[in-house]
Amino acid sequence: MSLDPRLVMSSVIFGLSIGGIYFLLAIGLSLCFGLMRIISLDQLLYYSIGAFVTYSVGVATGQFWLGVAAGAAAGGLASLAVERLIFRRIYARDPTFSMITSFGLLFGGIGIIKFVWGVVPRPVEVPTLAQFDVLGTQIPVYRLIIVGIAVVVYALIWAFLHRTIVGKAIRAAIENVEHVEGLGINVGRLFTLTFVIAGALSGLAGGVYAPLILVDPMMGLEMLAFVFMVVIIGGLGSIKGTAISALIIGQVVSLGSLIYAPAAQMAPFVIMLAILLIRPTGLFGVALTRR
Amino acid sequence: MTAAKSLASRALSWWWGIAATLLATSLCAVLLPTPFMNEVMIFAIYVSGCNFLIGRLGFISFGQPAYLAIGAYCTAFYLFYVGTNPLVGLGVGVLGGLLGAIIIGPFFVRLRSDYFAMVNLALAVVLFYVTQKLLVSITGGDNGLWFLTQMQSTPLLDLTAPAQFLWFAIIVATAVTVMFKYLDGTIFGACCLASRLNEDKLQFIGYDNFKIRLVAFIIANTVTALAGAMYAIYFGFVSPEMGSPSRAAEPVIVTLLGGVGTLAGPLIGAFAYTGMKDVISNLIGNWELFIGFLLVFIMLVADQGIWGTLPPAARALLVHLRRAAGRARN
Repeated sequence: MSLDPRLVMSSVIFGLSIGGIYFLLAIGLSLCFGLMRIISLDQLLYYSIGAFVTYSVGVATGQFWLGVAAGAAAGGLASLAVERLIFRRIYARDPTFSMITSFGLLFGGIGIIKFVWGVVPRPVEVPTLAQFDVLGTQIPVYRLIIVGIAVVVYALIWAFLHRTIVGKAIRAAIENVEHVEGLGINVGRLFTLTFVIAGALSGLAGGVYAPLILVDPMMGLEMLAFVFMVVIIGGLGSIKGTAISALIIGQVVSLGSLIYAPAAQMAPFVIMLAILLIRPTGLFGVALTRR
Repeated sequence: MTAAKSLASRALSWWWGIAATLLATSLCAVLLPTPFMNEVMIFAIYVSGCNFLIGRLGFISFGQPAYLAIGAYCTAFYLFYVGTNPLVGLGVGVLGGLLGAIIIGPFFVRLRSDYFAMVNLALAVVLFYVTQKLLVSITGGDNGLWFLTQMQSTPLLDLTAPAQFLWFAIIVATAVTVMFKYLDGTIFGACCLASRLNEDKLQFIGYDNFKIRLVAFIIANTVTALAGAMYAIYFGFVSPEMGSPSRAAEPVIVTLLGGVGTLAGPLIGAFAYTGMKDVISNLIGNWELFIGFLLVFIMLVADQGIWGTLPPAARALLVHLRRAAGRARN
């Protein structure tokens, strides 16, 4: 079977953009696990909230990027409330405990979204329809903007964790939370900050991805399995691993659907199984230690 | 003499709980509407597999719909393409579930509990896509497979009649409960619990954690497949919706609702959950809102579930009342 190189080219770009979305979502899950040892499935809720707020603000003001900013802010605010009210009480318990609680939050949040926005899928207008030519292939600029946002977020997160004192404290706390606490650093505040950053990034992902899909209440659940796979393949708690596996899964999904569409949804699963069989902690995962 | 007596009393206490449960469910079967009780009984079987995984192994799985779908589709394939006897179909479904668990188990039980949950969810997603899109020529895609009218009626209990199916479901649920009760008392049951509490110590004694977990996984998910096969026969219809990942949390929620690791937990959880679902979706129609926050509430406030919270509370109340009565007499 011969593939049209132009199709391959646009498919690679599509894979990069979807990989960027996966990365934005998975980074929150991964950081939360690394620092707090919680599995925060409710990140997918902030993703849906971000998309819906982007839709509403976009309709009200006509400004798409204002909507995305509002979506990220809404995701951050929602995660702040959830962290203060709920997660604060369960940090000390088993990771599986937080997983069930956050699954409940995700479900309840979907109920709230249905209550506020209804069940009808909402279209969001693409902010720029411009395309440009790469080797005879028309590439939509908006997809490249998504890739750019993901790269910028990766750079910012890296700089935050390696160049600022708060980021260094977070990295140290990933290694050993008691020692950091012993230095007089308020670990609770670090936890809150990390959780809010994760929530805001999820909201950003929802807002940015909204024009390419229909915004509907179940969008978080549809994304859940793929984000899971990205985090598992990369290894819980590793930022580099998350970025690499987001790239891989994005390409597998988009190139896979080019080669044989029905198998594209399964291919990531097969890859995940293979990687877990070789390395049960994922590509760059840290060993799970109970606190 | 004393040994025989204690054995007899143990056997009595053993059967007492089963008999009481059987009596209570029979009473409900007579009093409550048949479709409701049918769903409760099948759901209780479904949940008891998940309950065994969580309560005895400490393995949480968000992929139980996958095993349910395996059982349901194996039964449906037999009844749609091959035969007409629902009992044989049930056997085919259970066998399919057993084979599936034997194939999947060795890969999955090696993983840590949190990875285990995610891998199972991924499996459920994949099976959903396989039944919905990939094998449309065999599974009929979203249209599903209809075989309600193809099933022949069976002697003694006619499985094609809902009222008689209910008694069959009660018998099967009781048999499953007895099996899990029996397993609890064996060395194997103790090993399962030990591998949840401290796998290093269990290994030190000389048991193989992997083998214990594998066997427990196979048992639990064969029971789940049995529930799937029963759903298929009861509805006379299967569709990908049955294994939908959006229902992945249900068995975990109901296990927690009923009380993790308790014998009566699945039944009570299934009863409470199905009842609430009927009432709430009639009242407000927004089911996710309720079930999601119920789950959060259970986790934060009463993580022992109904069966873990209410009887001790009732016992404490009884003791309190008795003391108060004694004081009043004096």
